[in-house]
Amino acid sequence: MPKVKRGRKEPPEGWDLIEPTLEELNRKMREAENESHEGKRKVEALWPIFRLHHQRSRYIYDIFYRRKAISRELYDYCLKEGYADANLIAKWKKTGYEKLCCLRCMQPRDTNYGTTCICRVPKDNLEEGKIIECLHCGCRGCASGS
Amino acid sequence: MAKQGWEDSEFPILCETCLGDNPYVRMTRQGFGKECKICGRPFTIFRWTPGAGMRMKKTEICQTCAKIKNTCQTCVLDLEFGLPVQVRDSVLNVQQVVPQSNVNREFFVQNAEREMGNQSLVDYGKADSAAKEVLKKMTRVEPYYKRNKPHICSFYVKGECKRGDECPFRHELPVANDLSNQNIKDRYYGQNDPVAQRMLNRTDKPNKLGQPDDKAITSLFITGVEADITEQDLRNHFYPFGEIKSVVVVHKSKCAFINFATRSAAEQAVEKAYNNCNIKGHVLRVQWGKPRPQGPKGDSQTEGGGGSSSSSGGAGPSGSGSGSSSGQMSLDDLLKMPAMLPPPGAVPSVYPSMDPTSFGTTSRDYRA
Repeated sequence: MPKVKRGRKEPPEGWDLIEPTLEELNRKMREAENESHEGKRKVEALWPIFRLHHQRSRYIYDIFYRRKAISRELYDYCLKEGYADANLIAKWKKTGYEKLCCLRCMQPRDTNYGTTCICRVPKDNLEEGKIIECLHCGCRGCASGS
Repeated sequence: MAKQGWEDSEFPILCETCLGDNPYVRMTRQGFGKECKICGRPFTIFRWTPGAGMRMKKTEICQTCAKIKNTCQTCVLDLEFGLPVQVRDSVLNVQQVVPQSNVNREFFVQNAEREMGNQSLVDYGKADSAAKEVLKKMTRVEPYYKRNKPHICSFYVKGECKRGDECPFRHELPVANDLSNQNIKDRYYGQNDPVAQRMLNRTDKPNKLGQPDDKAITSLFITGVEADITEQDLRNHFYPFGEIKSVVVVHKSKCAFINFATRSAAEQAVEKAYNNCNIKGHVLRVQWGKPRPQGPKGDSQTEGGGGSSSSSGGAGPSGSGSGSSSGQMSLDDLLKMPAMLPPPGAVPSVYPSMDPTSFGTTSRDYRA
């Protein structure tokens, strides 16, 4: 979540290029927050939030590390303002975690058998034709190979 | 921390089926996780998945209750035979009365716990061996893993499951029959258990097979002949009853014929082997054979093209043939039959192969 903006500095150069996309994602996030939980399962309630959070961080990550379209200052500014999750981006830079859906899904200490989430299992290792939706964020598989 | 009578165990008491086919099963253990569904005391819950595509299972009754009746902690079936408590108790004729009112039960369980230690209260040693044989016959040879399948999706039944392919529950409509109303207490105490009643009804069937009127019949018709049962196996099994003239095995339709030399041998074989024939772990059913038809016959109605002359089609091949019960079969009938037996009455009594005319003996004028 972006913080409340109080007397902040002028944003670095290039901000007006990425601002519309981030505003759009912000708007969607507000919608998802206000959405009713009627008819949803308990675990399903937070899935849209996790998805948008991932999408927003991914956008910043892509334009800085992949397309190299924004400056370092602007990237730091986005992280500071809370438009992207620095911890999640840090994981994406490691091999094997390129597509990680959320930080909870790679936390083995939170599970009964000390394993990661089912969405971290490559498709080849799952049973044939089995469709999964992970409990934490509704991810359908975020292993690097698949 | 454990209060008096609270169970704190390291390992569950389970049957093979409940554990599933994976030898490396992972379990979680939760102390005093739930109350026992029989005695209501807190006990240790174990949870595990019995193999791929199965539902999560957990222990349902406490170990004391399980040991009193010698059952699995999850499925409440007997540990040795895998049968419902009611079936076991009525066949072995043992009555292990567990009081059902609260205070009485608590007292009983407390005493039983002290008394039995690690053993079960059910003692098979005393039961007579004939009854044990009956139970062994009712026991499944292999574990029945279908029991561990996920439950039916209740939303799907109502027609409103939105999860589609991701739904971990089974998308099937439930079959309503007498087995759909079961409850764990009745199954444990061995009363009004519909499964047990069905099993007991099956074994109460008459243990004898009547003899056909036709004294010429000396052959037996065996069904359920699996591929690994050879002619020699059948010979070995039926030789003690008398001299065998011939044995014909039809693996395609899973059946066989055994022709005895004398009628008395056949009668003895039926008496001994009816409802009691087991070769290589397969249960075979024994019936009387049907006499082989004799004499020429007309065209059969079942024949494709020549359905014109059906005057004699309705009559049986011999005196006893058409009116005989479904328990009598002949080899010719058999070779014409599909792999599964049609219901009695559906089998026409006349077959093209009974007709000598189809093998070249002409009795009609074909010049027309």
